[in-house]
Amino acid sequence: MPGGETYFAVRDINLKVEPGRFVSIVGPTGSGKSTILNMAAGLLNPSSGEVTSFGEPVNGVNRRASYMFQQDPLLPWKTVIDNVSLGLTMAGASKAEAHAEARRWLEKVGLKNFADRYPHQLSGGMRKRTAIAQAWIVNPDVLLMDEPFSALDVQTRQIMENELLQLWQESGKAVVFITHDLDEAIALSDEVVILGAGPGSTVVGSYEIDIPRPRDLLDIRDDPQFVALHREIWGRLKVEVSKTYETAMAEEGEVA
Amino acid sequence: MTLLDSKKNGLSAALDSGTRRRKRRTELSPLAMRGTQFLLTVAVLGAWELSVRAGVVDEFFFPLPSDIFQTVWLWVSSGFVFPHLWITMQEAILAFLVGAAAGLLLGFVLARVRFLERLLDPFLQMFNALPRVVLAPIFLLWFGLGIWSKVAFGFTLVFFIVFFNTLEGVKSVDRVLVDNARMLGASEKQLLRHVFIPSALTWIFSSLHISVGFAITGAVVGEYLGASAGVGYAIAQAQGVFDTRGVFAGMFILMIVVLIIDLLVNRLERHLLRWRPTQSA
Repeated sequence: MPGGETYFAVRDINLKVEPGRFVSIVGPTGSGKSTILNMAAGLLNPSSGEVTSFGEPVNGVNRRASYMFQQDPLLPWKTVIDNVSLGLTMAGASKAEAHAEARRWLEKVGLKNFADRYPHQLSGGMRKRTAIAQAWIVNPDVLLMDEPFSALDVQTRQIMENELLQLWQESGKAVVFITHDLDEAIALSDEVVILGAGPGSTVVGSYEIDIPRPRDLLDIRDDPQFVALHREIWGRLKVEVSKTYETAMAEEGEVA
Repeated sequence: MTLLDSKKNGLSAALDSGTRRRKRRTELSPLAMRGTQFLLTVAVLGAWELSVRAGVVDEFFFPLPSDIFQTVWLWVSSGFVFPHLWITMQEAILAFLVGAAAGLLLGFVLARVRFLERLLDPFLQMFNALPRVVLAPIFLLWFGLGIWSKVAFGFTLVFFIVFFNTLEGVKSVDRVLVDNARMLGASEKQLLRHVFIPSALTWIFSSLHISVGFAITGAVVGEYLGASAGVGYAIAQAQGVFDTRGVFAGMFILMIVVLIIDLLVNRLERHLLRWRPTQSA
């Protein structure tokens, strides 16, 4: 890049996710959480190093992964059922087949009466459910989630997290979940990975979450194990968060 | 629309707060509004008619509205105007189809191939900056007095509007929609079909209203400058013999035709963009 410095969002990341594991990545703003996920998805190429998925290097879009975005990914000009069946129809399935499968998924996420609506006619929670069905219907081995519920209100969010856990437990898929909410990360995951302050951040800690499953997310925040883990991990995360904050303040000082 | 409006009125009646009531009193029902619009038309035309009859305004420049309508009726009932109208429509439709197709194609290609966009951008800006009317004489020389000089002229008007809107429409597609479709396995062709074209449609439609009007403008102006048939030619003929009634009659007929076409475009737009939330309230 002429005239500019290369910005390393993340460096020396070595992260492994085993099949069937739910791994959350938590870090302060600007720690490159989304960068990691986009590289795993194949939407972004690492400037050096390699991303492998099931032993094979990711080249172009990662075919074995589905991605759940923070923003609304539904095509506004397609009905709910057409949105959900999109992955199947694009892979060459007939419309009837795809719709039958989509109906099954809509029933699973509680939207079977909304198949013919357009996205703008749904609430935020319903759109998220549609997005979940859309991502899961292609039966990926890995689910990459980039703060998928951050735009929802707190209650809807907890309900969605519960539903996500149920879906995941039935499926045995690997999940990489990005969030800046430590509560959410601990409640959902088998493992919480902490990223350091950016730029050029790296993994600074990794914690095994051995709270037994199935978990009820509506009550888990009072669980003594949860509280102990939260205290331990927050102790580490806090350091990185304040580092980020101090850097931001210093930069602001420079500008002023 | 009417249904929606009456529903809104019902709602405000139910809410019946002080401000609502005041608003309702000033807001006319659609039917009453139509009536008022009709009255306004009668008043303006009546004032025109009276001031001409009273000699305040020269009839030579502003013929009596009643005479204009008579001329319109004569042109329509005798069938005089229809061959002209047909020629004009042929030119406009051809100009529109060829211009829109070329605009769409180039818009999509340039939006997807960054290199070409950067390469061609200054040239496109240059041609777009050119006042298109000055092209009419050269097109007359190149393509003759027949319909093709008008088609070429209309093309230059339609093409740029559709092109710039398509380019903007495709480029402004939400990044997440593209990424999501790619993650779901979309090929470049499928991206175009499921994401880019529908997304650009809103832009293309907003340009469609203008470009349809421009296609007709192109045809009429072209005819006016030199032709052997068409409404523009008929108007030029009337002007040639100082028949202002004929000029006004031609304008009036064109206005009605464009209105009807715009109505059809609206219908099509509402059908194709039915997924869009209604922007009422």
